[in-house]
Amino acid sequence: MGDLSQRFCTIAGKEILVDNEGFLWHVEDWTEEIADALALECGIERLTDAQWAVIRFLRSYFSYYGRAPMNRDLKAGLGISLLDLEALFPGGIRHGARRIAGLPNPRSCT
Amino acid sequence: MNKLIYLDNAATTFPKPASVMKKMIEIYSRIGVSPGRGSYDLAAEADELVARTRRKVADFFGSPDPDRVIFTGNATDALNIALQGLLRPGDHAVSTRLEHNSVLRPLYHLHMKGIIEYDLVPFDGKGFVDPGDVIAAIRPNTKLVVVTHASNVLGTVQPVREIARLCAGYGIPLLVDAAQSAGVIPIDMQSWQIAGLAFTGHKSMLAPTGIGGLVLNRQIEGIEPSRFGGTGVDSRSLVHTEDFPYRLEAGTINLMGIIGLSESIEFLEQMGIESIHAKEMALLNKLRDGLSLFDGIELYCTENFPDHVGLLTANIRGMDPNDAGAILDGDFGIAVRVGLHCAPLVHESLGTSPYGSIRFSIGPFNSSDEIDQVLLAMTEIERHGRHGL
Repeated sequence: MGDLSQRFCTIAGKEILVDNEGFLWHVEDWTEEIADALALECGIERLTDAQWAVIRFLRSYFSYYGRAPMNRDLKAGLGISLLDLEALFPGGIRHGARRIAGLPNPRSCT
Repeated sequence: MNKLIYLDNAATTFPKPASVMKKMIEIYSRIGVSPGRGSYDLAAEADELVARTRRKVADFFGSPDPDRVIFTGNATDALNIALQGLLRPGDHAVSTRLEHNSVLRPLYHLHMKGIIEYDLVPFDGKGFVDPGDVIAAIRPNTKLVVVTHASNVLGTVQPVREIARLCAGYGIPLLVDAAQSAGVIPIDMQSWQIAGLAFTGHKSMLAPTGIGGLVLNRQIEGIEPSRFGGTGVDSRSLVHTEDFPYRLEAGTINLMGIIGLSESIEFLEQMGIESIHAKEMALLNKLRDGLSLFDGIELYCTENFPDHVGLLTANIRGMDPNDAGAILDGDFGIAVRVGLHCAPLVHESLGTSPYGSIRFSIGPFNSSDEIDQVLLAMTEIERHGRHGL
């Protein structure tokens, strides 16, 4: 959706620039503490190993390619279906996994 | 994964008919020069093809004057040319909440520049605009009514004939956005009293991207150009020609796209647009009937299928449509359009903002077997998804 409105928000004790849907504005602001805090906002008390694996894959892919993985790359890279990925995060793929991983909100007018 | 099931035909039909692609490349390979510029025969041949295509387009939409077929990049381009060329300071326009941003944004732009005022008429619970509401919004300074023929979100076909008839009674031209209807719904501008029509080639006209048109009847007078430049005529003058179609065309036109459009019209006429529409609606009926069996799937405005084009919009309750689109693509090889579909007011009215919905849009090359596979995929998603919203 890519809401371009910005606001500062205190996450894990830091002032972080986010958009109106709570996606980090700057991908480099992300830390594991911020992931924990964003996860808590989604109702995840403690991120599981499976959830951390997804987050690390998304971060790593974004660092390498400068963009989020396409659907087929996401599925192949994680080795699970996107249906299972959606079920793994409260909030689903976009609002859950992608937001907690600190990737930008997709700007395309989907 | 199996072959992609493409259900985003309301955005761009895909694939294009093989015969259209083949002939387009063949002809362009032979005469791909600047139409009408230069003294050589090939330029004249290209110009003749352009002129023939203007006639084909005029005939296709029931417009009497091929010179008033303006080639544009797409429907958005055509609508911008029309809206910015027709509306003057102090004018008022009437449109609807069903419109795509191709209408909403030019109107808003003109309004924010202090040039015009406009009103948007609502649609009812089934997705239709009441012609009486359009007429009720007319003011003494209303200079134009602009209405979409078929909603790109709901698929509902609007009563443009009745709206045009009523507008004509007030002497107000009706501009129709036929982006979603051209190529599947027969249109007769002359007898319907439609003053202007914007269409694009890349949807149901089955032509490539980058070609569209604005078709004007003689009811439209004094339209101002918003672009100026070379036309191939009257080169000595610094004043852009007032003659149609060059009045509204500047620069070398998209010959490749025009050839594609010419060939796609031939294809549509051979196939018969009524039969294409009937096939698409049969598949849409099957999809609608299948999806309506799920408690967890919400459908929007699918009651009046006789007045519909081959698309429907749905949501899986509790699931971000963006996630649903990703799952359909990544896990099942099904391409759909999700989100707001560039028609934010429709979603605002449906209560589906800000995330929008999943749009399934059928094309002439989809099959019943593909709809079965979509229904199986939706069964799995609806049953097993966590539905994180």
